Amino acid sequence: MSQLDWIILAVTLIGIIAYGLYKSRTTHNLDGYILANRSLPWGLVLLSIMGTQASAITFVSAPGQAYTDGMRFVQYYFGLPIAMVVICMFFVPIFRKLKVYTAYEFLENRFDGKTRTLTSFLFLLQRGVSTGISVFAPSIILSSLLGWNIYWTNLFMGGLLIIYTLSGGAKAVAYTQQLQLIVIFAGMFLAAYMVVHMLPKGVGFIDSLEVSGKLGRLNVITTGFEKGNGFDWGDKYNLWSGIIGGFFLALAYFGTDQSQVGRYLTAKSLTESRMGLLMNGLVKVPMQFAILLIGALVFTFYQFNNAPLFFNQTQVNKLEHTAHKDSLLIAQKAYKDLSEQKKSTVTLFANAENKEEKANKAVELSQLQHQSDSIRRQVRTWMQAEKIEGDTSDTNYIFLRFVVDNLPKGMVGLLIAIIFLASWGSIAAAINSLASSTMVDFHRRFTKKDISNEEEYRMSKWYTLLWGIFCVIVAMYSYNVGNSLIETVNELGSIFYGPVLGVFLIALFLRNITSGSAVFYATVLTQLMIFAIYIPAKLKLIEMGFLWLNPIGAFGVVIFALLLQPIMVKRKIPQ
Amino acid sequence: MQDGNDKIPLFRTWGQWYFFVIAFLILLIILFSLFTNLFS
Repeated sequence: MSQLDWIILAVTLIGIIAYGLYKSRTTHNLDGYILANRSLPWGLVLLSIMGTQASAITFVSAPGQAYTDGMRFVQYYFGLPIAMVVICMFFVPIFRKLKVYTAYEFLENRFDGKTRTLTSFLFLLQRGVSTGISVFAPSIILSSLLGWNIYWTNLFMGGLLIIYTLSGGAKAVAYTQQLQLIVIFAGMFLAAYMVVHMLPKGVGFIDSLEVSGKLGRLNVITTGFEKGNGFDWGDKYNLWSGIIGGFFLALAYFGTDQSQVGRYLTAKSLTESRMGLLMNGLVKVPMQFAILLIGALVFTFYQFNNAPLFFNQTQVNKLEHTAHKDSLLIAQKAYKDLSEQKKSTVTLFANAENKEEKANKAVELSQLQHQSDSIRRQVRTWMQAEKIEGDTSDTNYIFLRFVVDNLPKGMVGLLIAIIFLASWGSIAAAINSLASSTMVDFHRRFTKKDISNEEEYRMSKWYTLLWGIFCVIVAMYSYNVGNSLIETVNELGSIFYGPVLGVFLIALFLRNITSGSAVFYATVLTQLMIFAIYIPAKLKLIEMGFLWLNPIGAFGVVIFALLLQPIMVKRKIPQ
Repeated sequence: MQDGNDKIPLFRTWGQWYFFVIAFLILLIILFSLFTNLFS
């Protein structure tokens, strides 16, 4: 990085931390620390909701996802607006009416203490690990690209995060998230502009869309139906898994995950909470589309320019010291030759004067791309065969490699600041919610002695520190977590969200189920069932896209609870 | 915290807001389908 990059990075980060601390200087109690004294307007609530969901992974991994798999990932968000409507109709009014600190408090009112403990435990487990991966994600990428030591990067990133979350609580998180998002959107817009600007003369935005479209990267809508084979249940992202699976995932995430519930409970009224959520339903899909489009544009850029064979150079260096050294050299040469051929073909495609010529060049280009893709796959196979430590997928590195290699001085610093800011926004909110749930759902209930509000506030800060350390430890052990970090975090959520959502659906809609024990055991059984489905699916013994785990989990709890309710009620009568 | 009957911004009822959000999603899906077909 140049000196200018370092200056831009430092000024942006220090400026935003100072702003957050200044805005939260009046926070000295638990209500303020956890829920910003329920005082925020909807605009801030919206930015806080968005900033919490959009981590560094969103901005780094999503463009890479579009580069390798196309834009169909956007369909994953189609269920989100529907979930926002359902949450506004049924979840928010009851949370606000009961004036809860955490979503799980409501379950004790409705069922019993053990159901509340189980759901908040599942939340802490899932969110704690996911947050650890979210700390690891930007650290590993920065360390690989800039040659920083991964352990020090993790510690530095985690340490700054802990200090930042400890000092201000929910209010600091919300106020800094608004500035963070402004910087993030400005940076991403600039990056998109630069990609198009750096294309050869005479090749414009529409031309670049045509290139990535013909090579399958603009597959925004896919139905999941294969000709002659019916619906593909193993297909991760299509219209139906997005609307149905994505709906249940979003319903669980925004309706039952304290990291999000804690955001909209900071609103000053029910109207402000609802407005924040509904506006999120309006802007999320277009925003994700725009981020993925940047990935598709980067893909086009690399049709006109030589792309690295593998975007994570650290892994290539490791492969060079194995038995596959010579094979790698041959693959690199073949890949370079293909890149040269692609460059001339894509130029002819962009300048083609009639449809027929364009169609012929598109077919040629597609064949060349197919060959390039198989070389990349082959290199990955070698890395896996050699059991090379670290990520054998380069999806998370594509966008940043592009930034570091191609963008002008200053832009690199800004883009790296974006990674830090996006991480802080989402991770700080997650750590704040982990501390709130530990304090309110466990500490308060299981320690018998009465403690003052000020003492609770101090205890919450200790829990924030402990969860921060936990996340850094998870980050230290997060090597080889999966293909794409954004996918890994969503996959992890899908394992636990379904059953927790099922409990909330019963609480809100099935008034005749009153037995806390029935709901508790139904949740335990369903969670075990989800593991029994997930593990064979992960081992590729059965075909099942992870988004389907959400509805299966939710309906599983409902069905088991309906079956167990009569048994539990009968057992209770003799007592 | 004021959970009374605040004025709903832009629309008269929350039902209209919910309809608007879902209609916008449907519009986006239609536009994305056209986009996919146009460039594939």
